[in-house]
Amino acid sequence: MSASSDQTSAESRATLPAGVDLHARPAADFVRAAMRFPDRVWVAVGEREVDAKSLLSILALGAKGGTELRLRAEGDQAAAAVEALADCVVNLH
Amino acid sequence: MVGIVVVSHSADLARGLAELAGQMAGPDVRIEAAGGGPDGGLGTNEPLVREAIARAQDGQGVAVLADLGSSILTVRLILEDEDDGDIRLADAPLVEGAVAAAVMASADGSLDQVLAAAEEARSVGKL
Repeated sequence: MSASSDQTSAESRATLPAGVDLHARPAADFVRAAMRFPDRVWVAVGEREVDAKSLLSILALGAKGGTELRLRAEGDQAAAAVEALADCVVNLH
Repeated sequence: MVGIVVVSHSADLARGLAELAGQMAGPDVRIEAAGGGPDGGLGTNEPLVREAIARAQDGQGVAVLADLGSSILTVRLILEDEDDGDIRLADAPLVEGAVAAAVMASADGSLDQVLAAAEEARSVGKL
């Protein structure tokens, strides 16, 4: 987990636990974590970045356990949002 | 929370999809199935749909997902009698729409957000 931020945007990285793909329930847990913030939030794998509040977009990423996710947010609570999302990712099960 | 109603010609399909969406959304979202015709076979049963909508409503609104044809027509007929706008039919594919809607409802999304999550299924691919 690492983070950088200015006033209204923030980025972080977090790695999915081994054996936990970002499918079904883990993806739903991730969306619920993102929805706790009013900020716009995104998650990226490789070159592909999607809305972190869109379950279907996240499912389409097909991220497997052990994959590093890049998290980005824009808004007043951007830093808190990426921190919470990174925490969510590493604790998915 | 916004409630979800799944309307299908098939009771099995409606029940199975409600179960799947419920597993993703968790126990707090009301997800009601209204499948099959009046005789228990394939079809649409208007009173059953009305009852499901009533069970799903906890004051935050209801998003209805329906499969095809007479399911859509039946829901539209029911909604013609509702003028407060807090029961709405999602223009979305059934499975992806219901799952996305249920998860958005579980995140305390508004009815607008739940409908938008369902209707996003028209444009977001599986791959």
